[in-house]
Amino acid sequence: MMPIWTKSGEKHAVTLLKVQDCHVLRYVSKEESGGKTAKLLVGGKNVSPFSKPESAHEIFKEAGVPRKQKVTTFNVTDDAIIKPGTPLYAAHFRPGQFVDVTAKTIGKGFQGVVKRWGFKGQPASHGQTKTHRRPGAISTNKAAKVYRGKKMPGKMGNIYRTSFGLKVWRINTKHDIIYVNGSVPGHTNCLVKVRDSKLPTYKDCNKNPPFPTFFADGDEELPEDLFDEEIFQFTDPSVKFA
Amino acid sequence: RVSSDGKPPKFQPPPKPVIIDRKTRKEETRFLSPEFIPPRGRTDSLKYYIERKDMIQRRKVFNIPEFYVGHVLAVTTAEPRASDKSKRFVGICIQRGGKGLGATFVLRNVIEDQGVEICYELYSPRIQAIEVLKLEKRLDENLMYLRDALPEYSTFDVNMKPVPRMAHEEIPVNKLQVRMKPKPWSKRWERPKYNIKGIKFELPEHKMKAAQKWSQPWLEFDMLREYDTSKIEEKIRKELSEELEK
Repeated sequence: MMPIWTKSGEKHAVTLLKVQDCHVLRYVSKEESGGKTAKLLVGGKNVSPFSKPESAHEIFKEAGVPRKQKVTTFNVTDDAIIKPGTPLYAAHFRPGQFVDVTAKTIGKGFQGVVKRWGFKGQPASHGQTKTHRRPGAISTNKAAKVYRGKKMPGKMGNIYRTSFGLKVWRINTKHDIIYVNGSVPGHTNCLVKVRDSKLPTYKDCNKNPPFPTFFADGDEELPEDLFDEEIFQFTDPSVKFA
Repeated sequence: RVSSDGKPPKFQPPPKPVIIDRKTRKEETRFLSPEFIPPRGRTDSLKYYIERKDMIQRRKVFNIPEFYVGHVLAVTTAEPRASDKSKRFVGICIQRGGKGLGATFVLRNVIEDQGVEICYELYSPRIQAIEVLKLEKRLDENLMYLRDALPEYSTFDVNMKPVPRMAHEEIPVNKLQVRMKPKPWSKRWERPKYNIKGIKFELPEHKMKAAQKWSQPWLEFDMLREYDTSKIEEKIRKELSEELEK
């Protein structure tokens, strides 16, 4: 995470996400998948092929791509289908866009009710016998049962969670890095899924994004760094208020 | 000695004297700002490389002078609500923290009997000028104890003139021992974990001995805590000098 300053001198914290060897692996049509839209299987980060059996390499051989650590599905409309085997780059996104980021949260193991659900526990003194971080009562007398989904101790973390509506401040096309506002679930160097935001406020925010994606062998030549309009770029002199 | 031929032994000249040039030694240990050295962790080194590129970009446009803890600095920042739209603060640097773009330094001064500390970010675009008024290192790297010292040690004249520095001499170390206000202090500065050499402790002997109870003499031999930055520093220095010359 890094600080970023706007032209009015305000500071925002930013997470850096690297797009590492992403390729489209397979196209699954609407009828095949049984959903509402067609799906594209996309693979991330390259990994050694020797730790999995040959049967697991079929998808990657079809696309002509080395074995990937993670394969995810993206729901895609029919006009945005991409041929399997095309690489995906960070330039797929543009600064000023809003994005949802999904990742597995940091695993905390088996945790008690105070840390996992934020219960207040009991006082430290004044006669409490061996009861300082316990849940206390779990149901009422009339119910005569414990409801399903009662908050109790258990394994915490290591589940998929999404941060919605994160602004993209800057994109580095040379190293394929996306600068995303705020924090993102997951530990450092973990695998993360980035999608266009589904929030209704940001429905019309994507002004002419590269559609269906940014192709490296196309005619467009992008500069090394793409900045949002409000970012203070370090090539400018210090901020002055009029 | 008898040689194999029976002739007298060949004349061997005495070894040439080795001259250690003190001037070259100074150039080798040039100043590298502490926020460039990456901390030990699991972060990808690509992140530090990209942050360094941004830091170098900023340094090309805006000059950040070489300064240490103990220097007296004057910082002008842009302030939207001031009448001049700028604010000048003079103070002694008591702490330099943070790594990368978020590096900060804290300036302390006593203005009209009120101690004021301001924490500035080195790379913030609001800072318009940093001037070093007095070059002087102290015995410690963290002068937070000035909060509990007598206020005369933290007062600096706001209209102080910059003290001229002799051409590239070594930065002088001020071996000043500061006198403290009566206890209680904000932190127990006499304890060995702070390792402070710049205070004149006027505490009774038995209290100083009792403070040594918290000493951890095994810490300096702990190999897992060792973080040798010499090679990393060399690489970063090379990168810096190449980029700044462009």
